[in-house]
Amino acid sequence: MPSVSQPHTSDQPAVATACGASTQTAAPAAAREGKSYWRSIDDLADTPEFREFVHREFPNAAGDLLESTDRRQFLKIMSASLALAGAGGLAGCRRWPETKLAPYAHRPADRAPGHPVHYATSMDFAGVGAGLLVTSYDGRPIKIEGNPQHPVNQGATTLAMQAAILDMYDQDRSRHPINVGKESTWAEFSAWAKSHFDALANGRSGGTGLAFLAEASSSPSVQAMKQRVVARFPSATWHEFEAIHNDSVVQGATMAFGDGAYRLLYDFSAAKTVVSFDDDFLGAGTPASVKWTRDFAAGRACDNGAEPSRLYCVEGIVSLTGANADHRLAVRNSDVARLVAWLASQLGVSGVPASLATLDVRSLAAKADLEKVMQHLVQDLKGRGPSIVLVGDRQPPEVHLLGHLINRALGNFGRAITAAKIDGAQGHVAAIKSLAEKINSGAVQTLVLLGGNPVYNAPADLDFAGLIKKTPTCIHLSDYDDETSRACAAAGGSGWHVNRAHFLEAWGDVRAADGTWGITQPLIIPMFDGKTAAELLSLIANEPVTTSYEITRAVFAANVNSGVVGDAEGRWRQALHDGFVQGSGFAAGAAPEVVGSDPAQHFAALEQRLAASSGEFEVAFTPDAGIYDGRLANNGWLQELPDPIAKLTWDNAVMISAGRARSLGVKSGDMVTLTVGGKSVTAAAMIIPGTHNDVANLALGYGRGEACGRVGKDAGFDFYPLRTSSAMGFAPATIAKASGSYVLATTQDHHPIDSFPAGVGTQERLPTLFAEADLGHYREHPEFAKHHTHVVTRLSLFPEDHPFQTEMIGADGEFVGEYAWGMSIDLNACTGCNACVIACQAENNIAIVGKEQVKRGREMHWIRIDRYFKGSDETNPSGFVLQPVNCMQCENAPCEQVCPVAATTHDANGLNVMVYNRCIGTRYCSNNCPYKVRRFNYFDWWGRGPLREQPGVMLQVEPDYYLKGQAKADPMRQMAMNPEVTIRMRGIMEKCTYCVQRIMRARIDTKNQWVRDKNLKPDDPKVQDRKVRIPDQSFTTACAAACPARAIVFGDLNDRTSKIKAMHKHPRTYEMLEELNTKPRTRYMARIRNPAFSAEHSGEQGGHGAPAQTTTNTGGHG
Amino acid sequence: MSTVIIDNTVDVPGRRAPLVLNHSDFGSVTRDICQVNESPRPPKAWTIAFVIAAAWAGFFGMLIGYLIFTGVGVWGNNNPVMWAFDITNFVFWVGIGHAGTLISAILFLFRQKWRTGINRFAEAMTIFAVICAGTFPGIHIGRVWAAYWLFPIPNQMQMWPQFRSPLLWDVFAVGTYFTVSLVFWYMGMIPDLATLRDRANTKLKAILYGLFSLGWRGSNRHWHRYERAYLLLAALSTPLVLSVHSVVSFDFAVSQVPGWHTTIFPPYFVAGAIFSGFAMVVTLAVPARAIFGLQDFITMRHLENMNKVILLTGCMVGFAYSMEMFIAWYSGSMYEKFAFINRAFGQYWWAYWIMVSCNVITPQIFWFKWVRTSVPIMFAASLLVNVGMWFERFVIIVTSLAQDFLPSSWGYYKPTWVDICMLIGSFGLFCTLFLLFMRYLPVIAMAEVKGVMPQANPHAHHGGQHHEEARLEKEVAHV
Repeated sequence: MPSVSQPHTSDQPAVATACGASTQTAAPAAAREGKSYWRSIDDLADTPEFREFVHREFPNAAGDLLESTDRRQFLKIMSASLALAGAGGLAGCRRWPETKLAPYAHRPADRAPGHPVHYATSMDFAGVGAGLLVTSYDGRPIKIEGNPQHPVNQGATTLAMQAAILDMYDQDRSRHPINVGKESTWAEFSAWAKSHFDALANGRSGGTGLAFLAEASSSPSVQAMKQRVVARFPSATWHEFEAIHNDSVVQGATMAFGDGAYRLLYDFSAAKTVVSFDDDFLGAGTPASVKWTRDFAAGRACDNGAEPSRLYCVEGIVSLTGANADHRLAVRNSDVARLVAWLASQLGVSGVPASLATLDVRSLAAKADLEKVMQHLVQDLKGRGPSIVLVGDRQPPEVHLLGHLINRALGNFGRAITAAKIDGAQGHVAAIKSLAEKINSGAVQTLVLLGGNPVYNAPADLDFAGLIKKTPTCIHLSDYDDETSRACAAAGGSGWHVNRAHFLEAWGDVRAADGTWGITQPLIIPMFDGKTAAELLSLIANEPVTTSYEITRAVFAANVNSGVVGDAEGRWRQALHDGFVQGSGFAAGAAPEVVGSDPAQHFAALEQRLAASSGEFEVAFTPDAGIYDGRLANNGWLQELPDPIAKLTWDNAVMISAGRARSLGVKSGDMVTLTVGGKSVTAAAMIIPGTHNDVANLALGYGRGEACGRVGKDAGFDFYPLRTSSAMGFAPATIAKASGSYVLATTQDHHPIDSFPAGVGTQERLPTLFAEADLGHYREHPEFAKHHTHVVTRLSLFPEDHPFQTEMIGADGEFVGEYAWGMSIDLNACTGCNACVIACQAENNIAIVGKEQVKRGREMHWIRIDRYFKGSDETNPSGFVLQPVNCMQCENAPCEQVCPVAATTHDANGLNVMVYNRCIGTRYCSNNCPYKVRRFNYFDWWGRGPLREQPGVMLQVEPDYYLKGQAKADPMRQMAMNPEVTIRMRGIMEKCTYCVQRIMRARIDTKNQWVRDKNLKPDDPKVQDRKVRIPDQSFTTACAAACPARAIVFGDLNDRTSKIKAMHKHPRTYEMLEELNTKPRTRYMARIRNPAFSAEHSGEQGGHGAPAQTTTNTGGHG
Repeated sequence: MSTVIIDNTVDVPGRRAPLVLNHSDFGSVTRDICQVNESPRPPKAWTIAFVIAAAWAGFFGMLIGYLIFTGVGVWGNNNPVMWAFDITNFVFWVGIGHAGTLISAILFLFRQKWRTGINRFAEAMTIFAVICAGTFPGIHIGRVWAAYWLFPIPNQMQMWPQFRSPLLWDVFAVGTYFTVSLVFWYMGMIPDLATLRDRANTKLKAILYGLFSLGWRGSNRHWHRYERAYLLLAALSTPLVLSVHSVVSFDFAVSQVPGWHTTIFPPYFVAGAIFSGFAMVVTLAVPARAIFGLQDFITMRHLENMNKVILLTGCMVGFAYSMEMFIAWYSGSMYEKFAFINRAFGQYWWAYWIMVSCNVITPQIFWFKWVRTSVPIMFAASLLVNVGMWFERFVIIVTSLAQDFLPSSWGYYKPTWVDICMLIGSFGLFCTLFLLFMRYLPVIAMAEVKGVMPQANPHAHHGGQHHEEARLEKEVAHV
């Protein structure tokens, strides 16, 4: 684990250099705006010396500088900031008047150029905070990891957290406020806002006509500033809206507990049975998916007699949770409620009407199978110990009530589920509807939109663009000049767009999923002088504290009263160092007794609701697995990230079953028209085996046209027009074939789906690629995974050792050998969440290639998640397989033998290394790689434009590719690069390196630490000779670090006590394609399924399992 | 130029069929062959063909520039299919290059006198085909400017190439083959260049032909040295005919890709190469003899002999295809089995069946003599064989790569316009070089052709066929 590098030395305040850097924004800003606003540095701003410095160092705003500067210039600026911060004694931002300016002649203590530093910070995403650890390289944040100490993250991250670094360096981010379509400045805006809100406050009405629409925020600062605003404008109304929200959960909790303000905290590691009713708790759209995935994976532990949990999933679409389930039932979303009701009635919940509690639903499985699964579910819930019954956000509130009643009946509250009282929760749909009503009644004159993009994603029936037009003054704070900002500007009057600061640029605070108070600490000056929501609110509230730093500190001081360190300053420093406040999570206890009104009335309402929403066919709205609700649409990493199930990149699609596609007469890529309540959208269909025949899965977030920026321009289809405030989860719909087709770029199944070999040749080899067995079989044959090989093994005629795997410890216990790096991927833990893919991309400067190139099969990911459907039924597969594959670092590497120029060779640690400088690009290595993990740079990916090539353009590359050339690559994109990893030029091969830069960094750091500990001089011969072993698990690869399930373990196989050694010796461990005798260093641990009964398909699945086949395998293990 | 059609394809036991028709003296042979070079204007057909070919060759050059400046991505190659048209074209052209040296070296050693009529331009074809072949591996690599790292040149990096790689063996095999073929071709041409020099009617011709004929005077000593050297080079070239395509096949056989990893590849590739090479000789000979009126030297007997070779090697290739299938089944390896079933019935089934119908079925028509001696049919068949042999390489390379071990990484290769135009462009380059050769160099080995005429027999004092027949009869009687 990377260490948190502050506080620094004792005499220096424990404030990040980045904080010092952020003061640099204050400087030019202050210089431009005078002391009226930046009152905290008035004295300084008035001194002529300072003015001179500002003009000398920052003749323009940093943002303007950046637009036209290259990386070198940027580094110069940054080093100037470092010099200021460092030489000046690392002043806290508020202390900046005491700063002494000095040239960077003396290196500040603990500051080595080129040595990355890690800062703890926090991110707020859709109203849920996360604890992060950001790597900063000479003042540039380049990589985000989870904060290892943070109780929720524990070192792991989600996709959105990993990808946030690219968001910050997005060249399409808005760079300045915009007033009615004209470029403006913060100074102009603040002057206007001051007079506008002063006038509003001085009027008699107390802010009548003022409304706020905010995206969800967990930030206590925003809450505090909101209260100040409300205090100044008592008549103002505050509305909160997120397109992906949990209204049903809140309403269900209200029904159950009499109050919706409870957050349920699940402990999946304690649950023996987990039932998901249309709840994708493992998916990327879930706020706490990091913790839940970790706990769920822990609960699946099956070694040493541990009893793994059993996961049931009932859903209409195919979610990641469903793909990981032991039993998955595909029913319509609208039928899920019936199964929940049936379950409730079976478990003794009274008052459930028999007409509701029925298993008589349309299911992909035969009726007898469905009944069998449900009967087993009842038995398991009754007899297998603590359980969790989950109901998804899409389901109506009454179903949540049923879920609570079931959990109550099972006694789960207080065991696997605890509840925490939180501040009042507001229904998002109700909130935006009330705002709409207010605007329609002409009661809103000034609308302040804090983030969000309601013009794009508000319920379609509200016509939010029309609402904006009716509002004379709209102010939109956002990262991009997006649909809502444009609508504000187009509305005339005094429409404003204010560019928002990224969380890596500004101070702030968050509450994590478990309530932990986190500090957001900036790592870089705001590149475009953006402001946070709290800053904007403090301006509106006319507060004395105006900078994000001041607000954060003030709110912290007012709210955090306890801590390890006694005084306020000490608590702040500790929180800054840790990134969060220890022990500040919600006080969780058992959920309150059900106090709600008569459940029977709710069940009657549910029946009515189901009757109203039932139809032949229905659509389900889901957050996209990559770009969420559309806010991340301009993030190239997430656009190119394959959907975990569909493997689709750069687009969304209407995901339907093979049966439905057949009856419609469409193939993947053909256009279909969906109609919901009179509104129609025509989009491309895509067949996803396992989807219910009467359901279409519509991932939201696409179809933003050019409004989302150049990267996501024209990607996908917008399904928000089908989503109305009355049916935010799923809705009855009709589907019809439309004319035309659309090209979908997938990273798997590039070949035409309808051609002969689709599926042929896959099923028979699955057992050798992906070892899995039922728990019972595993108990009987613990080593089953080692005997799964069905094909002839290519054994050498000569005895072969593993040449690098010999531990060498000298006589005095000294380490004299070499490392033998190895990796283990536990398929029993992996849920296929894709976090490793983005972590690898961020760490290793992996290029995105664009849709056209993905279509050609040229994606560059070093680690990918292979997805297979099991069984021969293309409509209803018997299972799903998700398997991460990176370079196996074979000891007997097929790639090395065929390279004519020795560009890929073995190093002394057994790594299969790729020498970019030597590679001439014959591509023979990739042809000979059985795992197909090598990636070739067909073009200069870094010199290319934003990558959505126009189909049909003859040269198939953007014209500006030729004009710009590679010398003028986007400077912002360059800044996001990890300087420790080579940028690969075109024409060469690349692949997973096991993060060799991290290995080298750990070697250097370990040796340096040893030298320091021993008090040796650098020229001591011991320093030269001695090898110092890196402590096991003191560092790991980017993929392993990000993995929430902790499925990936990396370490030294020559260390007999290492974790990886134990993993490689584990009975479940096997080598993929072992028969090729490649001796891979990356090995897999077999997946153990825990079904209540063997599936009927076990005959065809059982290739890996049946003992008879174990004995018939052709050998090679002896 | 002959006007009389003589059927020299009839084999009379004990009697040798004439190899040169309608010529009773050496002088007319010289005249008729040299008129190809000496006629004041080339035939119209030549001019038209040359303009088209040169245009494509030029376009080929431009496309190479585009490729080098933009990246290999202008081709359709993708992630599993890292090699496609590039290496297909390479193997195809190397294969074409086999016939020339086989005709000039192996048939020379076996004393097959009929080779003399076709060996010169078959060798030229070899040289030009290898030039086309060499282009593709040179430009298919990602960083063309570092291609010289493939050669074992002492350098400041202190790096040798990696000698375990079949690609390196390719460099040596093709390099050696090209060098020896070039020397063999050029050396064989020296007496004829001297003839052209002696007959030159312009100063420029005299100087150039004089320069390249290396002072040949036709003295007894010259002839003696020439014959020795020719024999030695023939002996040197013979193993190369077998080795070069064996080594090329190692590119595939040494790898572990199902469908590539096959021990049958070296003989199968050599047979295929000879097959395609002879088909290309027929493809070139048929129009060339018509345009330049060389029917007396490239007779129907020559064409028929070549068709027989095509039939034989076609059967060998067909046998190899069926053996591949058998071994894939017999191996018990599901990857191998899949690879071959997939070839025949998978996403590239059309390529496989084009290959089988062109390479296995088409040559079977040559069991019939009237087909073997029908110029239009053999021309069409030779074109089909060329198409089939190109597809054979495409099938081997692309179908195997597109679907190997991990189904998750299976892909589909589609050529881009650049791929297709570069394939056509390579034909343009080949045809340009060949047409230039036809016009400016002795297209038939005059000296050797004269050597197989009855008049060259030192025992035939009175000249003429009768004496020769008499001698043969006498010899037969003796036995």
